[in-house]
Amino acid sequence: MTMRAIWTLILLASVVVSSVVTAADPPAKTKTAATDPKADEKPVVVPFELLSSRHMAVQVKLNGKGPYRLIFDTGAPMNLINNKIAKDSGVLDPKTKRPTFGMFGTMGAQPIKTLEIGGAKLEKVSAVVMDHPTVALISEALGPIDGIIGFPFFARYRMTVDYQKKELTLVPNGYVPGDYMDGLMKKLMDAQNQSKDPAVIASAGLWGLVVDKDADDEADGVVVKDVLTGGAAASAGIQSGDRVLTIDGRWTDTLSDTVAATAKVHPGREVVVVVKRDGKDVKLTVKPAKGV
Amino acid sequence: MRRRFALALACGLLAPPIWAADPKPAAADSARTEVPYRLTETKHVMVRAKINGKGPFNLILDTGAPAVFITKAVAKKAKAEIDEKGWANFDSFVLEGGLAVEKARGRVEDLFQLEGMNGMGLAGVELHGVIGYNVLAKYRIQYDFTTDKLVFEPLADFVPPPLVPIGGAKGQGGLEMLGPLMKTLASLMGMKPNFATVPRGFVGVEIDDTDGIVVKKVLPGSPADKAGFKSGDKIEQIRNISVDDGRDLARALAKAGVGTTLKVIVKRGDESKTLTLELGKGL
Repeated sequence: MTMRAIWTLILLASVVVSSVVTAADPPAKTKTAATDPKADEKPVVVPFELLSSRHMAVQVKLNGKGPYRLIFDTGAPMNLINNKIAKDSGVLDPKTKRPTFGMFGTMGAQPIKTLEIGGAKLEKVSAVVMDHPTVALISEALGPIDGIIGFPFFARYRMTVDYQKKELTLVPNGYVPGDYMDGLMKKLMDAQNQSKDPAVIASAGLWGLVVDKDADDEADGVVVKDVLTGGAAASAGIQSGDRVLTIDGRWTDTLSDTVAATAKVHPGREVVVVVKRDGKDVKLTVKPAKGV
Repeated sequence: MRRRFALALACGLLAPPIWAADPKPAAADSARTEVPYRLTETKHVMVRAKINGKGPFNLILDTGAPAVFITKAVAKKAKAEIDEKGWANFDSFVLEGGLAVEKARGRVEDLFQLEGMNGMGLAGVELHGVIGYNVLAKYRIQYDFTTDKLVFEPLADFVPPPLVPIGGAKGQGGLEMLGPLMKTLASLMGMKPNFATVPRGFVGVEIDDTDGIVVKKVLPGSPADKAGFKSGDKIEQIRNISVDDGRDLARALAKAGVGTTLKVIVKRGDESKTLTLELGKGL
């Protein structure tokens, strides 16, 4: 597999996944201006417009230019702007040459100095520049839509979406979204020599609990086979024969799902475990210990 | 007509409009529900849902889609009845965390974006559909990736504006071919999605990691008990990996499934002992 083929693949992959990205990506480090969130930072309220297509549209300024009307999309792993506003806002130098294999006018991820949505302002973010065909279609039907705002924006906030008030409420939370491109690249490289074996997952703490499930058992939950004396499960009152239905709100219908749920519970944290015992749901509190 | 519905998830999962009217009663419950989520490797916010009691199925929260979309395979598993326009009314639609969405309905369609991602295993998890506007709009939803749950709060006195037809549906602007294309490419490159997981083997010791890894308690009947571990043992080496802290321990056990046999060197008093540990089932 040549490098070239991998780049092409990334382009394709990202068109679907994020509808974006080319080989010509600058090392766009996604660092927020709000790197040190204060615990009681004031929320920023951003109004949105509910389009008749039922997409959400927000007003966005890029490098102080605009505002432009963009779709707000929790399903978008990247920000995306079209060539028109990329040039208008100076995100893209009009003289930039297009990559030879760019589809839909793709110019790759470009750095943006400032991105403002209402009172929310980010510095040094990036957006993929591309004339996305679906955006273009929606734009044609419903008036100008020049791109998409996605994960790299909203992940930096504790965000509440309220369709009744038509508002996003944003409080910086210190989360750094990471570089999507790097992740995708790594994934594709790894895919070449990935293990055929299933991934091994582990509980974060020690429960002292053995659960299992027969292949033909289709009922909810997993069955407790053993509760080890002196362990956290025993202290919580879990008994052999109980069916564990949920751990900290997570479904435990398979062995794998049970381990995945306990992988989220760090030692010393108390979580609610719901078991079915004699036909009744029983809520227990388990505090796993540090151990393996 | 199906073409009209073929939703182009523009960016990632941005879907174009939908047309049929979709009247919605307000949600009844006013309680907040914490919904566990997973951030996929493609940075999608994924939740799990049981549909008609089947599943769980992995769905992406997508304000870029006008409605719930599930694949045909999921619809079949959930025994969902599909009307002539491609919609299914679900008898029950419950999100992990216990949120029952009343009278949920969705489109049954294999979205090319999901097909493409699944073909390559890009998300790190198999995706079965998306949850779009027709369900999302009924709730005030809090997203915070520094916590491990989303919070859903029903908008009790709010009826989301219905889906309306908008003119000039033109498919997805030529993106439809990408799903199958990616799938083909993936198989040419020998990429085989591997979503399976197995539990790590169980030891059965409580540990103190303040100064090296010291066994604090051996759970009776556990693999560690059978191997002869005693409380106070300091774990020094596991299969040639020297163990100084919790990170070393996790690394030494990282790929050890149930049934794996490990040589463990412990320090007991002034003595060094080599124990043979066969990992078992357990948490």
